[in-house]
Amino acid sequence: MNAFLYLSVTSARNRIVGMVRRARRPRYAAALIVGGLYVWGFLVRPLSHGTAEATSFFLGQPTEMIVTLLIVVTLMGSWVFGSDATALAFTQAEVSMLFSAPVTRRQLIKYKLFRAQFAVVINALIWVFVLRRGGTALPSPLRAISLWVLFSTLNFHRLGAALVRSSWREHGAAGARRHRASIVAFVAVGVAIAAGMIGARDELWTGEGIGPFFTALGRVLADPPAYWGLFPFHLVVAPTFAKSVGEWSYAILPALGVMLVHAFWVLRTDAAFEDAAIKASAERARRLDARSRRALAVPAAPASATSTIKLAAVGHPALAIVWKNILCLRRTSQWRVFIGPAVMAIALGTAMGSGETDLAARIASGSMAFAGMLLLFGGRLIRNDLRHDMQHLPLLKTLPIAPEQIVMAEIASSALPMALVQIGLIIVAYFAMLASTAQILPAEVRLALFVAAPFAVLSLNAALATIQNGTAVLFPGWVRLGPTVSTGVEALGQNVLATISNFFSLAIALVIPLGVGWIVVAWMQRSQPVSLALVIIAAAAILGIETYAVIRILGRALARAEPSQTE
Amino acid sequence: MIAVREITKLYGDFTAVRGLSFDVGMGEILGLVGPNGAGKTTTLRCLAGIISPSRGTVAISGHDMRSDPIPAKRALAFIPDEPHLFDYLSVEEHLRFIARLYGVADVEARIPVLLDELELVEKRRALPGELSRGMRQKLAIACGLLHSPTALILDEPLTGLDPAGIRRMRETIIARAAAGAAVILSSHLLNLVEELCTKLLVVRRGEGIAYGTIDEIIGAHPHLAGRSLEDVFLALTGDPSAAPAV
Repeated sequence: MNAFLYLSVTSARNRIVGMVRRARRPRYAAALIVGGLYVWGFLVRPLSHGTAEATSFFLGQPTEMIVTLLIVVTLMGSWVFGSDATALAFTQAEVSMLFSAPVTRRQLIKYKLFRAQFAVVINALIWVFVLRRGGTALPSPLRAISLWVLFSTLNFHRLGAALVRSSWREHGAAGARRHRASIVAFVAVGVAIAAGMIGARDELWTGEGIGPFFTALGRVLADPPAYWGLFPFHLVVAPTFAKSVGEWSYAILPALGVMLVHAFWVLRTDAAFEDAAIKASAERARRLDARSRRALAVPAAPASATSTIKLAAVGHPALAIVWKNILCLRRTSQWRVFIGPAVMAIALGTAMGSGETDLAARIASGSMAFAGMLLLFGGRLIRNDLRHDMQHLPLLKTLPIAPEQIVMAEIASSALPMALVQIGLIIVAYFAMLASTAQILPAEVRLALFVAAPFAVLSLNAALATIQNGTAVLFPGWVRLGPTVSTGVEALGQNVLATISNFFSLAIALVIPLGVGWIVVAWMQRSQPVSLALVIIAAAAILGIETYAVIRILGRALARAEPSQTE
Repeated sequence: MIAVREITKLYGDFTAVRGLSFDVGMGEILGLVGPNGAGKTTTLRCLAGIISPSRGTVAISGHDMRSDPIPAKRALAFIPDEPHLFDYLSVEEHLRFIARLYGVADVEARIPVLLDELELVEKRRALPGELSRGMRQKLAIACGLLHSPTALILDEPLTGLDPAGIRRMRETIIARAAAGAAVILSSHLLNLVEELCTKLLVVRRGEGIAYGTIDEIIGAHPHLAGRSLEDVFLALTGDPSAAPAV
């Protein structure tokens, strides 16, 4: 067997065996059952006919073009903001053994591409099940092939972009000249799309409501010049959106062609590969230490500790953990991970505000949409809590602080910054509504929401962070630990599943708070805005109590956790 | 200062540590030695509160590690062989962090002294990733010593240190013991153990096979009289190729 194939297969097999062995523990076994039921219920369970019909409109041309646009925006992020280390990083063992072995650079790149296929295939399979609710007659195997082509192409593109960037960085102008064709193509795509959007801005602004806005956007993207920019990517997306086998047969060959062109481009890219890879790998090893193998993305190199935040020598020791984690957040912030939510918020805000003539209404819509996006995805975008610090479990366990205080401080470290940003956005939205001539909501309701929102935002963020930290404490052997955020398309499927399961858990936690809130309001018999505020505040308080109870349980679990579980 | 009673650590069917008991008093330095896989690190992790023993008790300065862990940990410093540092705290920030956790009020006065003593002044704003292996070890040592612990547990503390660092570390261990700290030193460097330790605990396959001063241990094994500590160690831990010729 080829040595690289042997390494890949045995590593994957041993990792799976290790995960399965953990399932012999009652806690992991219970999680496996719950996870299996979740996957069955969400992905595998037979669908009712109505579901497919109800969602079939998602496969229209506007959606296809908007999805293509989102993919291009994501890829542009890897060109502009870079994720070199993500694409290039090898483990320390790989650097030690493979880079000194008699193998060519091209063999190493092929190995890297092959290893990535594990994640690509898993992600494609997840999306096959997710998209089967899309209401087409396309058989699942064909859809799986479509998604594999799509995700493989995106993976190749990111790796190619990383190699070009590394060559440019290493060799300066000479490196840029060497890859001028790739760079010109990238710029041309961006210019064509921007020109199309700017040229049709009136059409986009004047539609009223979300539906007409996205229909107009889809139409703009389907016409030149934006269409020209999206064309190669549209070819890759097209098989996934095919509605019949005939349509798929027509679309798959061009998609395969684009994928092969990407593979050829990557293999031919003459970058200082080893140097860049070793640097990226060393960086990763340095920061991720033993957990590096599980990393799917790596934060930018930390700024040297030139600025700090003052910490008083005396005071509650748990605050030192919050201080440490805030510094960590400052030094590991991967701003590019916020591009997706920001773009979605701008699009959603623009869509919600379309038809409105004043800027204030658009600002209000955009701010609310962004706050909502951060509530939905924010907890997955920053990990300066136990999802990072479980790597340092031996150190945490020697600290003279009660375990539940450690858990609480860790959760506050990620929940508080995210909640404060959301509260800031809500304040902006509120005052933008006041300044707007449009009557978005009745004034009393607006005020009630404004007063109650901080309570809700704080408790919701704390609850979500507790759920995410809980998985790290209870199942450290199964979850990815470290500060890095999985942003690649190959992690999209897993991220979707994880996000939905988080919100499913939150929904269960909200049953009692909302029920009690309504009972309190019914008993008090106040006016609608006051009732609304009281329901939210009461529910937030009860959710806070529930969260605290869970933190106590997690504290006991942390006290029992042993380093062998995270190794 | 450090009192260990019948600690046992089980991992499923495997017994990593079996019924170890020993005491380390004020000013004493206990050398913990044994071959690879003997259970030294597991023992030290039990003492530091990182893992809980399956049976038995550990008391640090009179505080039981299981029932009263916070005061026990406050009295303790554990310096592992692989320095555990936070990736995104600078050298100085590590010391401030530890100072807050352990309530070291005079941190402003202590930090310059420690940084100077461990030759980290120029690296005070560096992150751990910018430090060499030896410097990272020095930082871990500085973090351990900052709060003047009364119980000091060192697991291969000299790994990665340069000769000057090794000498300084030796002096530090002696000074801390002289100041009244109870010290446990695990090391494969038997000459270091022989030089520093007042007592020895030899473990093999999780069991204590010899405990006492070196003279007491040799006294219990008269055929080892006159042999070096290395010979004594190899004979006790059962390496047949190293059995001392009589």
